[in-house]
Amino acid sequence: MTATSTAEHQEIAGLTYPTKRDEAWRYAPHDVLGQLSFGLSVGSARQLPPAFDASISALEGPRIVLINGVVDAERSDLSALPVGLRLSTFEDARRDQPELLAVHFDSDVDLSTDTFTALNIAFGSNGAVVHVTGGHAIDVPVQIVDIALPDETGSTSCSGVVIHLEEGASATVVETRIGDGDFGGSNTRTTISLGDQASLAHIVLQDIALTQVHLGRVDATQGAGSVLRSHLFNLGGRYGRVDYGVRLAGEGAKVELTGLYLGMGNQVLDQQVTVVHAAPDCTSRQSFRGILDDESTGVFNGGIDVRPGADGTDAEQSNDNLLLSDRAEANTQPRLEILADQVACKHGATVGQLDTDALYYLRTRGIPEAEARRLLVGGFADQVVDTVDNEILRTWITERVRRHDG
Amino acid sequence: MLHVENLTASIGGTPILNGLDLDVGSGGVHAIMGPNGSGKSTFAHALAGRDGYEIDGRATLDGVDLLDMEPEARAAAGVFVGFQYPVEIPGVNNMYFLRTALNSVRRARGETEIGARDFLAVAQEAMDLVEMKEDFLHRAVNAGFSGGEKKRNEILQMAVMEPRLAVLDETDSGLDIDALRIVASGVNALRRPERSMIVITHYQRLLDYIKPDFVHVLVDGRIVESGDHTLALHLDDHGYADFVNHDLDDAPERPLSGAAR
Ligand SMILES: Nc1ncnc2c1ncn2[C@@H]1O[C@H](COP(=O)(O)OP(=O)(O)OP(=O)(O)O)[C@@H](O)[C@H]1O
Ligand SMILES: [Mg+2]
Repeated sequence: MTATSTAEHQEIAGLTYPTKRDEAWRYAPHDVLGQLSFGLSVGSARQLPPAFDASISALEGPRIVLINGVVDAERSDLSALPVGLRLSTFEDARRDQPELLAVHFDSDVDLSTDTFTALNIAFGSNGAVVHVTGGHAIDVPVQIVDIALPDETGSTSCSGVVIHLEEGASATVVETRIGDGDFGGSNTRTTISLGDQASLAHIVLQDIALTQVHLGRVDATQGAGSVLRSHLFNLGGRYGRVDYGVRLAGEGAKVELTGLYLGMGNQVLDQQVTVVHAAPDCTSRQSFRGILDDESTGVFNGGIDVRPGADGTDAEQSNDNLLLSDRAEANTQPRLEILADQVACKHGATVGQLDTDALYYLRTRGIPEAEARRLLVGGFADQVVDTVDNEILRTWITERVRRHDG
Repeated sequence: MLHVENLTASIGGTPILNGLDLDVGSGGVHAIMGPNGSGKSTFAHALAGRDGYEIDGRATLDGVDLLDMEPEARAAAGVFVGFQYPVEIPGVNNMYFLRTALNSVRRARGETEIGARDFLAVAQEAMDLVEMKEDFLHRAVNAGFSGGEKKRNEILQMAVMEPRLAVLDETDSGLDIDALRIVASGVNALRRPERSMIVITHYQRLLDYIKPDFVHVLVDGRIVESGDHTLALHLDDHGYADFVNHDLDDAPERPLSGAAR
């Protein structure tokens, strides 16, 4: 494996590594990021923890599993795909649907300022393509699992996901990002394009090992009347980060981004969101909640960018944080830029502790303090989990969230 | 049963309860009335175990000292307080909460826990008692409930918890006429020879439904008068004027007017 450290990469490609001075990277543990190394994917000979296999197979349906950025054919399931769904690896797509990959690799992200996206483009040559053809509704959730099992200290895998829903199509895609073993991590990038009236339920479960780093990016472009509901559960990692860039390009498109981050120890959980209203009468909702214990840090940096001509925009953003320790920290940064008329734009943020009146109330009903706390914390988290419509997925996520909020 | 002796409570040095004495026997229903701010809710909280008061004196239930216990231990000992202002708990399912509460006290008492299915029957019976629709069980605890719905939910909890001592703090406030009847008949249905109740209220109306054995008047943190239900009728006509500033060490001595009943 030709691993290169981030520092070397800067020299090689002339990339600028982000620093604390970059607003979007202000709270990142830069010393930790500096120890990551990137290279071409070679897979892994390591054993997968049995719990991973159990978790993956707990969700039935088609799936693609990647380990260290390489497709694991044995764990993937491309059999019996429902009519209208084309699920393929990047390798197959390069042959059969190169145009879908072109969108993914011709990213319009400013690569000179986003080193990790540049590295993903350079090394994330494997991944999954979810393509639903016009008008088809896919009921069964499609699962993409990205597993990091660093072979050398610091090694960080790169992979990608392309989701393309043609006009009037609908689907549910679950992206799980997990990891085990040494220090290292994963860098994933998802490109979503929704045709007119298409509808996607998208779930990201970030649950990498607590010593590792996850850097995720989701870019979406939406056609007229399309609906994207994306739910982020940002749970794992010394540093767990997901960037959303959503572009509402067609009239009347709707996006709903909900997120839950649960921090403990010295975790830093970072969500960077930008929604661009580029067409009239679009609706966007950003609703993120954090529960932060110990010395953990939560970051929500959310932007609403209403372009000229995007009249009739309806945009809302909220970020609510529950601090369980006085050393925990929540940072909220709203960014609003409004260059259109008749725009309804709301944003709000709260930081609070557990409600002592509620705690008392539960205890007077005989519920011991520790359990009462768990109930309240769970209740705060459940309000995000409950936004997931699919009951099987909701149960599956609840189980995973519970491991973190105890 | 409940024995309260010289109970005092203050917050940050401000006295609120000033030597409250009360005995409630098994099966007894006692009403407490008193002007706003006289300390009725504070008394309820002192029994429930709320933090933040400096408490002195004695309060025992069946001889067991309550004042040193955590709130959850008091619940296990059989204390239930229906609050004047029930708390909203978004995200926590009412049914799950009720079952957790019941099983917590059962566990604390060394009894077996009740499974989800058996609990449904328990909950159903309690729901019928307060004529509550089933969807309230599937909502978050008190979240978005109307004032009256919250009060019914308190009685529902009492029915599920089957306490030894129930203290109902203004459960009748904010109820419409039908709800008042429902809550009152719920309370009556829960009267037991082995269960004592303290009903805090401002209104004679409730006491028409729930015939109390005793009525006490609480003024400035102590009980200044006790009598049978006719005392409530008297208060309804004359207000608290007879009792306010009566017999307080630091209050100017005033002649009692019309106190003879
Ligand atoms: N946390 C607190 N800090 C300071 N004073 C308090 C606090 N809680 C209660 N008090 C005061 O204690 C007194 C008694 O309050 P309490 O709520 O017990 O009255 P109450 O008899 O229940 O009145 P009401 O009929 O209006 O319900 C009031 O003067 C109130 O302002
Ligand atoms: Mg009161």
